[in-house]
Amino acid sequence: MAEHTRRDFLKRTAMAGGAMALAPLGNAAAQDAPAQMCIARWKGPADAQGDVTTTMATKLTEQAVAAIGGMKRFVSQGDVVWVKPNIAWDRAPQFGANTNPDLVATLVRLCLEAGAKKVKVGDNPCNPAKKTYPNSGIEAAAKAAGAEVVYIDEKRFKDVAIKGQRLDKWLLYPEIIESDLVINCPIVKDHSIARATVCMKNYMGVAGGQRGLWHQNLALCLCDITAFMKPPMCVVDATRVMTDNGPTGGNLSDVKQLNTVAAGTDVVALEAFGAELLGLDPAKVKSAAAGQAAGLGTMDYRSLALKELEVA
Amino acid sequence: MSSRAVGKKVVWARRVVQAACLCLFLFLFWAAGLGEDEEASPWLRAFFDVDPLVLIATWLSAHELPAAFLFAFITLGATVLLGRVFCGWVCPLGTLHNMVSWLRTRRRRRRDAGDQWSPWQRAKYLLLVVLLVMALFGAHWIGVFDPLCLFYRSLATAVYPGAQYAVEDAATAVYQSDPHLGPLHATALTEPAYGFLRDHVFARERGAFRGAGLIFALFVGIVVLNVYRPRFWCRYVCPLGALLGLCAKRPALRLVTEGCTECGRCAMKCPAAASPDKPGHWRSTECFGCWNCIAACDQDAITFKLKSPFPAPSEAKLDLSRRAVLSAGLGGVGGVILLRQSPEAQALIYNPELIRPPGARPEREFLQRCLKCGLCMKACPTNALHPTGLEAGLEGVWTPRLVPRVGYCAYNCNLCGQVCPTEAIEPLPLKEKQAIRIGLATIDRARCLPYAYDRTCLICEEHCPVSPKAIFFVTADVQTSDGRTRQLKQPHVEPDRCTGCGICEHVCVFKDRPAIRVTSANEARHSGNRAILPGPSQFEDADVEGAPESPYGQSDGNPYQ
Repeated sequence: MAEHTRRDFLKRTAMAGGAMALAPLGNAAAQDAPAQMCIARWKGPADAQGDVTTTMATKLTEQAVAAIGGMKRFVSQGDVVWVKPNIAWDRAPQFGANTNPDLVATLVRLCLEAGAKKVKVGDNPCNPAKKTYPNSGIEAAAKAAGAEVVYIDEKRFKDVAIKGQRLDKWLLYPEIIESDLVINCPIVKDHSIARATVCMKNYMGVAGGQRGLWHQNLALCLCDITAFMKPPMCVVDATRVMTDNGPTGGNLSDVKQLNTVAAGTDVVALEAFGAELLGLDPAKVKSAAAGQAAGLGTMDYRSLALKELEVA
Repeated sequence: MSSRAVGKKVVWARRVVQAACLCLFLFLFWAAGLGEDEEASPWLRAFFDVDPLVLIATWLSAHELPAAFLFAFITLGATVLLGRVFCGWVCPLGTLHNMVSWLRTRRRRRRDAGDQWSPWQRAKYLLLVVLLVMALFGAHWIGVFDPLCLFYRSLATAVYPGAQYAVEDAATAVYQSDPHLGPLHATALTEPAYGFLRDHVFARERGAFRGAGLIFALFVGIVVLNVYRPRFWCRYVCPLGALLGLCAKRPALRLVTEGCTECGRCAMKCPAAASPDKPGHWRSTECFGCWNCIAACDQDAITFKLKSPFPAPSEAKLDLSRRAVLSAGLGGVGGVILLRQSPEAQALIYNPELIRPPGARPEREFLQRCLKCGLCMKACPTNALHPTGLEAGLEGVWTPRLVPRVGYCAYNCNLCGQVCPTEAIEPLPLKEKQAIRIGLATIDRARCLPYAYDRTCLICEEHCPVSPKAIFFVTADVQTSDGRTRQLKQPHVEPDRCTGCGICEHVCVFKDRPAIRVTSANEARHSGNRAILPGPSQFEDADVEGAPESPYGQSDGNPYQ
């Protein structure tokens, strides 16, 4: 017992010391009461082509997460964390079909720094994972940041009781849902039926089987899976957004560069924010509206403790 | 050193070389389409490049050859000098046959009919004639019998996926039933083992291939025949062996006998039935140059010696009658005529299910080159390419075709063209491949949910990889079962943008008969199968909203200038 106490004491001291050391570097926001949602917009320099850079995605992510309380608010010592980006499509990062790889890498690093024992990154993609993982840039970036990149095994899905409005049970990936924390980090994209896809649609990546059937009542199915996943926080990639021909795109004219990252604890608020980025009225995006009706959050993200940062 | 001692050493050297060649073959097989490589190594087709039968038959049928095939002249040169050493030392299928034959011969003490040369060994030469004559008329059936094509095809479509199935299914059964004794779970052992095999040995999604059962049965049959006669395939059937045999009529390395007691021990060890036990009657065209006979002779009576091929040796002749050869040639001609007796083979109509890989040449040229080796099927990352049954006629059996229900043509992949040994599938740059049409999607309105069942669905549109998408929506009023009217988005296909990749059919909610299906219509390689006039649809009716103005209506004149 004595040893435990001593170890705890040492740990606390070290953490406090670390926090003090980091404090001057962090944004002032980090020292206030944490925000419920943060929108971080890049005001710094871009590269010669004006494209999204590693520094940009990294700083935006770091500061957005810091503003909602920092990763330590969500990750406990020894946790196993699953970072769930969108890695669905065999497209290079500039096409905006998958989550920005530097954003994913930053989340991995933040989790490890916050004490996570292991950080896994993976998705159940639409194109073959052997192509989407490397071509999205996410595999290399996540590995370099210290994550274990997991290829989904089609044969390891298990029927799980969801008990939702529309989904009673479904094949989900045990390794994901058994993680201590799942960080949903989608990219904002156009979609012909959902209109906009943000956090809620990204949860399709934890499901297997005939998940395409969900489109027959997409809003309610997404509510069900979101309610089941109970996201404590999500990070939305809007460095690039896909404005047309979603969710696959494939043409640079389908992509708009917004240089923005949002983090928050309210999944519906992030959904609504993403919809607005695509120029849509969030109330017309059925998943967001249904999410609010189901009590998963509020579309009125401005009513939350919102922090808007300009990052350089 | 006695000639027997030398023989024993050479036999061991041969075994090592055989094992190395088999391992190399299996390794190159394993490496095809593995992982995320987007550039395929030319090494993947190395064994086909050194196969002289592929060289000659492809040259006869297509009158053209990729430069790499010139390596096959090395094989021919080695055969002229040393005899059929390719069969004895290199051929991976021959090595497999050797291993199975050993099961039969290891305990044998007595001679039997299998040691004796049989006139049926001439059958392979006649088969070779049939196949070469067929090739001359453009029917490239060599790949059905060529040992390297046959072995590769069987591995790719049947043996390898079968092994993977066995491992995955067994491990999954344990995983799901989770047998345990108290805290000891069987999965603690099986899951790491399975994970290792999955990630590092198979290292790719499992495939399942149309018609693999027949390929597997034939392969097993060919292997089991070794129990009846050692290296049955090599002795009686193999047309590559026959070609090399013809080159080995007068090799420089010859079996020399001195002081033979005709005990017959050498013949018992001879896998080729090349009559090493009959001085003056050794059959150089059959001999694999394996040195078993020399290692078996305790009289030190036989050995291989380099000798001038002039004057002609007095050993046993091949003895093919002119009549038999002529008949075989006529049989080849008849075979071609027989294969062409279908409207599809004469390009009068097109089989809707015959969707060829992107870059495939026009059907006739394609069939003149395709080896049916299965390399493209192994390389394809989505299990989209399958051995054709009879969709391309008997002539095109086991050639690759796309089966979109099982797998689709991945947008960012052109591996099939990169690996094809004969360029039956041309190696298109990725940009060109992405634009090439291999078929056309059609919506079955009697099944498609927003047309037939009053349900929202968009999976086909969602997955369509071209931008702008080839599937677009038109909002329509539909009647619901309770008599109300609601609006639904119904998918349509824009044929000018559809490439026929098949992902729409692959992901359709209907898994029995998808409500959107791709057929070969509109494929770029055949103008005769073109269904749609290229270019955008015409707005000749001025009432169409948003129609571009007719060039004829413009005052500045004549569009033909």
